[in-house]
Amino acid sequence: MTERPPRAAPSRGTVRGVRSTDWSHLLDVLRERRRGIAAAVVLGVVWTGGKIAVPSLTRVAIDRSLETGSTAVGWALWIVAAGVVTGLLTAGRRYLAFRESRTVEARLRRRIHDHVLGLHMGFHDRSQTGQLMSRMSADLNQVQMFVVMVPLTVSHVALIAGVTVVLLVTDPLLALVALIPLPLITMVAKRFSDAIHPAVLAVQSEQAQLSSVVEESISGVRVVKGFGAEQVRLDAVAVEADDIQRVSLDAARVRARFLPLMELLPGLGLIGVLGIGGLRVLDGAMSVGELVAYNFYVTLLVWPLRSISMTLAFGQRAAAALERIDEVLSVAPAIVAPSEPAQLQASGGGLKVELADVHFAYGDATVLHGIDLTIDAGTSVALVGGTAAGKSTVARLLLRFYDPTAGSVRLGGIDLRDLDPDDVRRNVQMVFEDTLLFHDTVAANIAFARPDASPADITAAAAAAGADFIDDLPEGFDTVLGERGYSLSGGQRQRIAIARVLLADPAVLILDDATSAVDPAKEHEIRSAMATAMVGRTTIVIAHRPGTIAMADRVVLLDGGCIAAVGTHDELLRTEPRYRAVLADDDGAR
Amino acid sequence: MWGGAGVAAEDRLDAAETRHVLRRAARLARDQRSTMLATVGFIAMATATTVTGPLLVRHGIDAGIRANDRGALGVAVVGYVAVVLIAWFGARRQYVMVNIAGEGFLRSLRLRLFAHIQRQSLGFFDRHQAGVLISRMTADIESMSELVQWGLLQFVSAGILLSVAVVVLTVMSWQLTLVALCVLPVVIVASVRFQRDSNRAYLRVRDRVGRNLSMIQEHLAGVRVIQASVRTAEQRRRFADNNDELLDAHMTTVRISTWYFGVVEFCGVLATALGLAAGGWLVQTGRVSVGTVVAAILLLASLFEPVQQLSQLYNTVQSATASLRKMFDILDTEPEIDEIPGAVDLPRSGDLVVDGVGFTYPQTTARVLHDADLHIVDGERIALVGATGAGKSTLAKLVARLYDPDPDTGSISFGGVDLRRATLASLRERIVVVPQEGFLFNGTVADNLRLARPSATDDDVWAALRSIGVAERFAAMPEGIHTEVRERGSRLSAGERQLVSLARAALVDPAVLVLDEATSNLDPGTEAEVERALERLMEARTVVVVAHRLSTVRRADRIVVCEGGRIVEVGSHDDLVGRIDGRYARLAQAWEANTNTSAG
Repeated sequence: MTERPPRAAPSRGTVRGVRSTDWSHLLDVLRERRRGIAAAVVLGVVWTGGKIAVPSLTRVAIDRSLETGSTAVGWALWIVAAGVVTGLLTAGRRYLAFRESRTVEARLRRRIHDHVLGLHMGFHDRSQTGQLMSRMSADLNQVQMFVVMVPLTVSHVALIAGVTVVLLVTDPLLALVALIPLPLITMVAKRFSDAIHPAVLAVQSEQAQLSSVVEESISGVRVVKGFGAEQVRLDAVAVEADDIQRVSLDAARVRARFLPLMELLPGLGLIGVLGIGGLRVLDGAMSVGELVAYNFYVTLLVWPLRSISMTLAFGQRAAAALERIDEVLSVAPAIVAPSEPAQLQASGGGLKVELADVHFAYGDATVLHGIDLTIDAGTSVALVGGTAAGKSTVARLLLRFYDPTAGSVRLGGIDLRDLDPDDVRRNVQMVFEDTLLFHDTVAANIAFARPDASPADITAAAAAAGADFIDDLPEGFDTVLGERGYSLSGGQRQRIAIARVLLADPAVLILDDATSAVDPAKEHEIRSAMATAMVGRTTIVIAHRPGTIAMADRVVLLDGGCIAAVGTHDELLRTEPRYRAVLADDDGAR
Repeated sequence: MWGGAGVAAEDRLDAAETRHVLRRAARLARDQRSTMLATVGFIAMATATTVTGPLLVRHGIDAGIRANDRGALGVAVVGYVAVVLIAWFGARRQYVMVNIAGEGFLRSLRLRLFAHIQRQSLGFFDRHQAGVLISRMTADIESMSELVQWGLLQFVSAGILLSVAVVVLTVMSWQLTLVALCVLPVVIVASVRFQRDSNRAYLRVRDRVGRNLSMIQEHLAGVRVIQASVRTAEQRRRFADNNDELLDAHMTTVRISTWYFGVVEFCGVLATALGLAAGGWLVQTGRVSVGTVVAAILLLASLFEPVQQLSQLYNTVQSATASLRKMFDILDTEPEIDEIPGAVDLPRSGDLVVDGVGFTYPQTTARVLHDADLHIVDGERIALVGATGAGKSTLAKLVARLYDPDPDTGSISFGGVDLRRATLASLRERIVVVPQEGFLFNGTVADNLRLARPSATDDDVWAALRSIGVAERFAAMPEGIHTEVRERGSRLSAGERQLVSLARAALVDPAVLVLDEATSNLDPGTEAEVERALERLMEARTVVVVAHRLSTVRRADRIVVCEGGRIVEVGSHDDLVGRIDGRYARLAQAWEANTNTSAG
């Protein structure tokens, strides 16, 4: 059991309180892509010309040919030419808009990923993986949807302006009648978008709830069947299924309220055109061709008007997403290399480790109250203590995952803060309590801290760690591990982790409870692998089991963030009741 | 977005199978039939403007403008207003009605599927990964929700539009219809190709998004190891490659839609041009009126959307039938353990007798238990010991009828009744399995206890907690037994979860307890309390425990040693420990040795 840093709510950047959306990250990336975006805008404006030309050509064809009884083939050819142009431009502007938006999305994702991966552990303790992942997926998706709309909207605005001018020139009064209902489309579409977004989120949230009820029922099927609780669980699922049905109907009602209205409004414009336009044709103030062209123009405007409202809505969501993204990007790394780092003098027999009056707190929770401890190069120490005694925190300070709030941690006599963190971590390696394997081959996982290791070195490290099971894996050292790959048992993972540090060959080795996940029968094998690993290094073992503790030269008993006693295992057993209590508890827990 | 749902090639069904699946789905949707019919009516109303609008314009031009008849123009305008209002009303209703029908169907499908999954015996859950079963209930049904929400609507309205428009066009002028038919095939072919290509590209995007997310997740989960191993730069480089692959997949979809949208745009203009050219000639020769040409051009322009929608529907239907087939596969699986007709209740108490039982796990061939014989007297405490794979857990599962013995072997009975002949309700009341780790469901502490007896009152719940001596602990919680335990009981400690799990068994008050002793750590404080509670739960009951600790084994009345799927020794600790070269004797020795190291 390790003490875990308390999880606080994710901090809102540097300053608490209201912050305005910071568009700077997006603008940065947009600036990098300005050529493509500009090209998309230019193509869009030319496309507008093509779109406006078609109804005008139709008008001319009707008035000059159909109405006069002559052939319309010539005009038709002109229209086909305009069609070729608009077809090409439709494709081109769409292509550019999506290419740029996807590129912007990819670049931002890389930016966030690279930034987060370099952030200090204090940040990662506070952040939830799911939250950070949604910054890099759902939130970026919102941004992408907005970016794609930007060049498209520019040409839509140009189209609306162009059509309005043409209509006004043809017949100002009719233009007013036809155009009045149209701005309402944008308003209705905007309101629709505002109303449907929460409705869709509600559906998704209910679906997620159903999913979690189903998930626990199926994961807990042994309990469900063991107690004959099928009906109880079915009732719980029925509640969620009813909720989905209810919110989904709400969403349908929102659609019913707005979508038909958006169809109705251009219809009203068309009626105005037919009625008033018809009268004007009868009065000889307008031609049939113009009437038809009006009809086309009104229809032409519907989609651009709706898309403007989409841009507005997407813009709002993108702003919210960018705000969340900025919260992450604006966190400055707390653990950085000094401008002129000191150099560690690595020797063959390990490095001296010193903790001098070290205090440490996770936020408000103080875990270490002045630890003084010197571990000579090449010797080993077992850290023992109950839950929350501060054992794992000591290990994390040595890796410089955190800096102490007071006091200093020294490696080879140099304060860690004067060293490059990478340099520290090359010399201090840790076998974590839970071994994380990456989606890669066994060999690559062992060579994680030394990617340039030769296959012979990797095999040797695996052998020294007692990882003989690798030969039995389907593809030996080339077997792909990880969540989507071959899965190993706890003991096997531990041995991979030990092989990993053996290959890294650090001066200081930290073993965090390496036998805890292991079957008692396997404990012995792990221990001998650990013993091999300890030779010729400074070693710190965070131990729970007597067998593991006995391997260390000295035992340090931690209690409530202070050193309670130091001595050999036998000494402490004789003299320290607290030591006996800790061991008894751990044994009882087995 | 375009492209909709993706269907992998291996998921596609052939035409006959698709028809079969759809027919079966239609039978399931019988309850929604009248709603569906009404929906079709409303959809028809909603399409009114699209078809009637151009006709009214024709009337306005030919009968009104050309004939200089203001009255006829007025009729056209009034007719148009009426049509627009009808369409508006129909459209409003269609969204609601299609939702009621579709979601109603999905709701009953969800419940039916879940009930059926729960009826399955454990062998089924061994065979099917939890994730797969969950996605049947979630992703697969949600993928159909697109079909019932949009697909049906689009299918019906596009179908009505296309057929009515073609009829209207033909009646107005068959020559113009022929012109229209020149362009439509191009759009149809382009749409079908687009759907096919974009489906393939979409599957690739989905795959790349998955890889991208899982790399992000891996990096976030492994940030400690990455930083500790000084691998930040290398992992950033790998992510850049992964990210570029995702971008590349996105760009493929962009390219595919690029040419498609260009072609559709061009075809729209082409149709107008052809209509005008042909119309001009027809007007010239006096075969049609100007109004008819205008109506035809307007009508043609509105045919493109339905064609695009119908082609899109193809994939939606494919993905829905693929999902449906997977669900039907589950619905067609009969549970292996079910109540036989004429099942009887188990008696209140009795001996538990295992008689010549053999067992093979479903879908495997190797028998893991051979000729097991064991007579457990009412109230006796039995410890099952042995190495991993010796068969002790299997025996425990059989005793609780989580599985049935192989048919050609013996039987397990309680109070003289073969478990296979017992009602499931009485079986779960008499014999209760307490799993290794306390598995809690989202809800309150009381909800979790009531799992087995939904009718239990708060007093019953308190009584159960008291009976194992843990009532104070839960009374001390802010809301007592009504404290929300959150997902998987995350608000409680592991020990507290175990206590709830024990109290749950106490509420059932069974005659037989089957326990799988925990191997994992608990915090030392609760560990002792769990021990005490367990001891009280076991009082006056028959107990079968899969034991991992010497202390538990010692307290048993008899010890059953399993090895290689056989019961090799049975007897009390004192009997067995003295046997020279006995299996238990050796086991106990190893245990003692371990304890001695532990004690120092």
